[in-house]
Amino acid sequence: MAKNAVGIDLGTSYSCVSIMEPHGPRVLANAFGERTTASVVFFRDDGSIEVGNHAKANVIHDPVHTVSSAKRLMGRFFFSEEVKKARAIYAYDIREAAQHAVRVGIRNEEFSIPEISAMVIREIKQIAEAQLGTPVRQAVITVPAYFNDNQRQATKDAGKIAGIDVLRILNEPTAAALAYGFGRGMNQRVAVYDLGGGTFDISILEIGKDVFEVLATCGDTFLGGDDFDDRVLDLLADEFVARHGLNPRNDPYAFEKLKAAAEETKRCLSVEEEVRVQIEHVMKNEAGEVLSLDRTIDRVEFASLVQDLIQRTFKVCDEALQQSDLTTRDLDGVILVGGPTRLPVIRKAVSDYFQQEPKADVDPDEVVAMGAAIHAASLTGTEAGSDSILLDVTPLDLRIGVVGGLAEAVIENNTPVPIAQSRSFTPARDDQESVTIRVYQGESRVAAENELLGQFEFSGFAKGRRSEVQIEVQFEINADGIVEVTASDPVTGEKASTSITLSSGLTPSDMETILREDPTARVSTPATIQKEETNLSPESTESNSDPHDQTPLPFENDDNAIDPSSLELETDKLPDDGQPFMTEAVEGADLFDASVQDLAGPESDLDGR
Amino acid sequence: MSTLSEPEIRALSKIIDELNYYEILRIPPGAGSTQIRHAYHSASRTFHPDVRRRLDTQLQTECDRISKRVTEAYCVLRDPRKRQAYDAKRARGEGLRIQISEARALHEREAVQARQGRTPEGRELFRKATEAIEQERWGVAFQNLQLALSFEAENPFFRAELDALQAQHPVEALRAR
Repeated sequence: MAKNAVGIDLGTSYSCVSIMEPHGPRVLANAFGERTTASVVFFRDDGSIEVGNHAKANVIHDPVHTVSSAKRLMGRFFFSEEVKKARAIYAYDIREAAQHAVRVGIRNEEFSIPEISAMVIREIKQIAEAQLGTPVRQAVITVPAYFNDNQRQATKDAGKIAGIDVLRILNEPTAAALAYGFGRGMNQRVAVYDLGGGTFDISILEIGKDVFEVLATCGDTFLGGDDFDDRVLDLLADEFVARHGLNPRNDPYAFEKLKAAAEETKRCLSVEEEVRVQIEHVMKNEAGEVLSLDRTIDRVEFASLVQDLIQRTFKVCDEALQQSDLTTRDLDGVILVGGPTRLPVIRKAVSDYFQQEPKADVDPDEVVAMGAAIHAASLTGTEAGSDSILLDVTPLDLRIGVVGGLAEAVIENNTPVPIAQSRSFTPARDDQESVTIRVYQGESRVAAENELLGQFEFSGFAKGRRSEVQIEVQFEINADGIVEVTASDPVTGEKASTSITLSSGLTPSDMETILREDPTARVSTPATIQKEETNLSPESTESNSDPHDQTPLPFENDDNAIDPSSLELETDKLPDDGQPFMTEAVEGADLFDASVQDLAGPESDLDGR
Repeated sequence: MSTLSEPEIRALSKIIDELNYYEILRIPPGAGSTQIRHAYHSASRTFHPDVRRRLDTQLQTECDRISKRVTEAYCVLRDPRKRQAYDAKRARGEGLRIQISEARALHEREAVQARQGRTPEGRELFRKATEAIEQERWGVAFQNLQLALSFEAENPFFRAELDALQAQHPVEALRAR
């Protein structure tokens, strides 16, 4: 029996899983026949969890114990804008842990973001196993192309925690292009316009017979379908305030109701010309009267609410086209990815911008998982005809921190990967004992405006006059887009390196602890079918397995616990004295401690010759 | 599809530091952009980590190393400006590799030089011409630019300046001393 290597599209709002079969990729539906599963985890008071569309329905009754859109927090620091925004929107408890990591507090427990995502992945894994009737251990997991190293690492950690051998982290638009071009023997230049729940990516690819080359990718990790919901939500909330003089934003239950209504409205506007939002019971006023909401929104009004968001995506498209030296006329096709691209207002705007109709034969919710499945099969060599190679790029400049709070670019964005680049540096002073290598990703020359990926000390170089000391720093980005940095002294041969890992939110020892725990300790009890109050009717597909088979499969217990020693996460020396390592920058001071660790700018090897 | 045997991969990995980018991609030094891309694709089919993941660990490491050099070669050669900087560096005998950021910096310096002049005479004459333009002495500017171009006939910035001058002023004004 061939190994089951699946493709998982781990989405902000919904996730999807697919497997490669002889005739092509097949999407695996859950026990209800639904082909996408909400990336939502509901924590019951008995300590068990529920994941998926049914858990999502729970958000209205118990928003504090229902975690949604965790992907938005993936690989983020607690002080980041994205986390601030999430704390304002979501009712669940988002806390700060050591080193500015993010944790979700549920009753008296705390979970890291990779752990929450692992619960979703585990559910997806079980869906696949139920469909295939065999264990699933390997997967290609997709991420937004614009994800930085922290976010990629966190996603990989999530896969490991869920007991999955992550074959590859694949960019979502690249996966979509792979699914689109697979087996068609085409020669085309395409744009993949990927508007997900929480992120926007645009990738320009050249598809050849067996080569998929990404020419450029650009994105915005602060823009997604959720933002469209928020616009509708604001409209509804303001309407309610105007009518009743009470702010539903202050009542988590009322707020969740409006949020659910906003999302539903957006979805309905994909098909309907107008939608009437009627909520009998939003909240009660002080006198105990039940207050309701009744508001009609049509496509025109909706379009005006979100127009600026759509325009923002085209700015990003401009950039991608420019970076690939192309104009919209050079493109043979436009592929739409992500649920929000079903909205007519977006389809219309996209065809206006690209001056062509987007491809109609691509399912925006499933194409990414299908591409991931094709690649998973190709990597495990299980299916013939899937030997296409993917040549991807790194989305962000990779930088090193230098004196003066600056960050020098070592690898530019849209450089193909895998790649290695090295540069020579000198210490800032004579007889310096050690340097701190700080690595950033981002577009700014100012270090603090970029994402800090990690830092490590290097002291293995020959001491002496600064002009005589040479420190060689090698930067590598692998095919997953994951970064590794090594510092060495060519004279002494000494080396120090780190697989950078910081704000995945988990230290290597955290990971060990999590992986040592019994993987069955918190098995999700899937939304059981007897809950009839849901309108979800299990669609019986011919390959659907027995719904009673939903109990955890026996192989859950066996050797899929990963040996912690095989983890690649390395210890790096972060100040764990509780001192925030970025405050220097925040306060505008020099990025480096006054002590011993300054790196001077790049050695003047360009002028000195 | 090009396939290399394991000993061949080991051998290539050993000598990769002695190969220039054209040799790594197996193309002639005059290769055009399409040829460069095809060579990159073809080398990737052999060395990309996705293709080679079933090899033993040591061989994978060798392939990874080669694959990164293939990408590096492609990054430099596909960009005419970086390629120019690389060719110049190689012609000066300063090595077979160029870091991408170094190529960019070199090219930028080139550009500044081109703007101000590459030869001492050209620089001096161009400086005089710019001065004359500021003083609206069109004839002097014209003459100095023509002289500057006699030292650096290829300099596009000198040429552009001269063209602009001729477009904006009648011939008589330019002939005046």
